[in-house]
Amino acid sequence: MIGDLEHYRGLVEKCSHCALCEAVCPVYLEDMLETHVARARVDIIYQTLYKKSMPVTPRVREIIDRCLLCTSCTQDCGGAVPVHEIIITARAALYGGRRRNPLRDYFTRTMMAKRGIKGFPAFMLAAAQKLHVAPEGFPHVSLRTFDSLYHGSYPPTGKKRAKVAYFTGCATNTMDVETGVAVMKVLGHNGIEVVIPDKLMCCGIPALGEGDITTAQKMVRNNVAILAEQEVDAIIVDCTSCGMMLRSETAKLLPADDPLLAKAVALSPKVFEVTDYLNTIGLAVEPGPLAESFTYHVPCHRGWTPTLNEAPLQLLASIPGLRYSAMEEPEKCCGAGGAFFMDYSDLSRGIRKRKLDDITGTGVAVLISQCPGCRSDLSAGLGKGWKTAHPVTLLRRAYGL
Amino acid sequence: MEIKGSRIESLRKDLSRLLGGGKVRTEPEDLLAYSSDATRYYAQGKPEAVVLAESVDDVCKLLRYANQYAVPVTPRGAGSGLSGGSTPIKGGIVLDMKRMNKILEISKGNMTARAESGVVLANFHRAVEKERLFYPPDPQSMDVCTLGGNVACRAGGPRGVKYGTTPNYVLGLEAVLPDGSVMNTGGISVKQANGYNITQILTGSEGTLAVITKVNLRLLTLPPDRKTLIIVCDSAQLAAEMVSRIIYEGVMPSVLEYLEVGAIWLMNTYSPIPVAQDGQVYLLIELDGTAAVIAEDIGMIKSLSEKMGAREVKIIEDKKQADGIWKARKNLSPLILRIFQKSISEDVTVPRDRIPEMVRAVREIGALLGVPTGMSGHAGDGNIHPGVQLYEITPEMEQKAEEAIRLMIEKGIELGGTISGEHGIGLHKSAYIEKELGKAQIELMKRIKYAFDPKGIMNPGKIWTEA
Ligand SMILES: Cc1cc2nc3c(=O)[nH]c(=O)nc-3n(C[C@H](O)[C@H](O)[C@H](O)COP(=O)(O)OP(=O)(O)OC[C@H]3O[C@@H](n4cnc5c(N)ncnc54)[C@H](O)[C@@H]3O)c2cc1C
Ligand code: SF4
Ligand code: SF4
Repeated sequence: MIGDLEHYRGLVEKCSHCALCEAVCPVYLEDMLETHVARARVDIIYQTLYKKSMPVTPRVREIIDRCLLCTSCTQDCGGAVPVHEIIITARAALYGGRRRNPLRDYFTRTMMAKRGIKGFPAFMLAAAQKLHVAPEGFPHVSLRTFDSLYHGSYPPTGKKRAKVAYFTGCATNTMDVETGVAVMKVLGHNGIEVVIPDKLMCCGIPALGEGDITTAQKMVRNNVAILAEQEVDAIIVDCTSCGMMLRSETAKLLPADDPLLAKAVALSPKVFEVTDYLNTIGLAVEPGPLAESFTYHVPCHRGWTPTLNEAPLQLLASIPGLRYSAMEEPEKCCGAGGAFFMDYSDLSRGIRKRKLDDITGTGVAVLISQCPGCRSDLSAGLGKGWKTAHPVTLLRRAYGL
Repeated sequence: MEIKGSRIESLRKDLSRLLGGGKVRTEPEDLLAYSSDATRYYAQGKPEAVVLAESVDDVCKLLRYANQYAVPVTPRGAGSGLSGGSTPIKGGIVLDMKRMNKILEISKGNMTARAESGVVLANFHRAVEKERLFYPPDPQSMDVCTLGGNVACRAGGPRGVKYGTTPNYVLGLEAVLPDGSVMNTGGISVKQANGYNITQILTGSEGTLAVITKVNLRLLTLPPDRKTLIIVCDSAQLAAEMVSRIIYEGVMPSVLEYLEVGAIWLMNTYSPIPVAQDGQVYLLIELDGTAAVIAEDIGMIKSLSEKMGAREVKIIEDKKQADGIWKARKNLSPLILRIFQKSISEDVTVPRDRIPEMVRAVREIGALLGVPTGMSGHAGDGNIHPGVQLYEITPEMEQKAEEAIRLMIEKGIELGGTISGEHGIGLHKSAYIEKELGKAQIELMKRIKYAFDPKGIMNPGKIWTEA
């Protein structure tokens, strides 16, 4: 179970010290200091929390904190060392769920349980952004949330091909409602009935990142119980981090004797990112033309299905006139990392700078990505003249919906 | 002169003043991170300071200081070495070269390049290939290892069979001597006859003579096409014989890897490999050149395989699938640790026609001592990386492993081979080098070392054991 140090002992010892993670860790590549690469992080965790041969100093905390949890190292590691889970477990051991100041902890615990910033806090944040006192790159909140617009079941237009439950993440719910609307319209147009289950909470990934296992478990248990009740062919997300959480991390958060564990395991293979799902079952209606060019940033949290990477490109290839211009390194991290961009803003900006250069080098002005965090931070970096969007919104426009 | 008081604290103060604080680390966690290379079991001590050099000037200043106070300096690239070479066993300063990572020139006209030594090999590959040029050396750690580390260890890789290894491409070096003076050896001419070949003495010097700061490398033109294929063999003997025959018949694959079924099975868990999983040994081959030449080579390999009785020749047509297979090949060493607790990859290299004998000997050694052995490597050049794997680490198993390694190395020497084809000597092989080279050569090496580094500060304790 994530959060259980003993469970990870064998996996920590599996690190062969091969150094291959130096090729992928965005933090290391920016800092150019080996202490900040997965190999060293794992070793330092081993020495301090397992062998206890070294004390936990502020520097140890920094090494464990200064990680985006991007999972690049885990995805690439030949030794199958789940580095990001080890780091989360170390955070849990070090902080017991109180890694940040009380306000931040309140945010991940309470506000996220309600799926995003709503009501009075949303109003305050909107005001702060108007006055330019909110952190740069922090997404703009919408005062009309997705769950105030949609709930219940939505039959498709045309012949029904499938029925899915749509798990709307916090970002879509309160900040990027446009993406949620596009998902609804495009799925419905393609003969897919969509259910929006009631009372879902945040997927739990922000709490997990803080090492706040209790909160993450609370959210996960709530969501598994609700989703297991749905009689659907698939569970759809638009956010790759929610998807990763539901598909590959949820079951790892439940203890072996938890009655919900079997349900979580059964749910896992049903979880799909929306373009991946559409690409798998095929479009029922051919989209119309769009005379545009776009580039594609592949989110780091992509390792949970093998087809997620390519899905938007394959799907959008069916739009006549739409042209794709590839970056040199479409899979390179953008540096946002959930709330990382606020905690380590210089480092995050440095990582983003490389990404922005790559994006602007493509000579287009539309950027798609399935991660709302990446979109929001990249959009702040790109400035005016650029449109950033979830790929499904291009499809919506091509359908004229 | 000697440093008085706590050496770590003095180094921190002195070096920060000399180089600027951002380039010096002395906290215990940073020292731990720089205490070993990819052979964590050879970590025997920690450095007392880590210096992150950003310029030749930094290196000069640091060496002048270290030489004055007789502080050991261990140059370090990616720390991906497999011989314990960049472990600072005598403490002192680890000099991280990875921030010196600029490619300075790629000359299409002269077909050469000049780069700082901290450039990561894969980045160098990408840059030259953009110009339709080709730098063949391909140690499987290419995504992280540095040009400086490659030169310092004489790194090779699968393509060695056709194209040779790093030393075949080094034309000149910029290096800083322990007294802080900078020298430029060789040049960028593809032929040189200008006195002692200092370039090639530094090539393979494993950080014991000087710090390499820039490298001049020879380039080829990029082959227009390449194709991957796999031959499934039902016996090790057959596979080993095929290696020699393929080359003898005039096909020179750019890669010719010998992989035991266990290796294929592990690689298959990382990236799908579309061949039967119940063969004994697999030859993973890459052919390069024009499409016509490749087609001809494939024809030859197919008819040879049929004649000699190989089970199947599978051509991998899908480029993505081929890339996946090569990526799995790169990850073979960490993949082995999914099953075993510890794996020691040997680097003994034998003449190509002695491979069948080596294969037999390694199996016998494993059976004799009761330790699992495996062999997967660059068979085309005789470098088949026999290895020992342990399910659990106990003193008894460790001892057996050591004994097995010793026997393999001795067998390699007996068959007319060398104790290291590409990883270098470092700590791992220092006990065996005299056996291969003889006393007189080791004594000469020591005198060469003294000429470069009279105070003995450069990576002390490596290559040969001290009396
Ligand atoms: C998964 C894996 C696969 C590998 N596959 C291969 C392979 O196929 N072929 C192969 O040959 N090797 C292979 N290796 C071994 C290793 O990657 C190579 O030896 C590589 O050349 C080491 O480069 P590095 O930058 O990591 O050097 P390091 O390990 O940091 O250092 C190696 C040695 O070079 C010295 N050195 C480094 N930089 C300098 C410099 N600038 N000046 C002077 N001395 C310096 C160090 O002091 C040390 O003695 C593999 C390693 C791993 C982990
Ligand atoms: S974490 Fe994985 S990739 Fe990194 S050094 Fe360990 S085994 Fe190698
Ligand atoms: S999760 Fe990302 S940032 Fe963290 S160690 Fe791995 S690669 Fe680096």
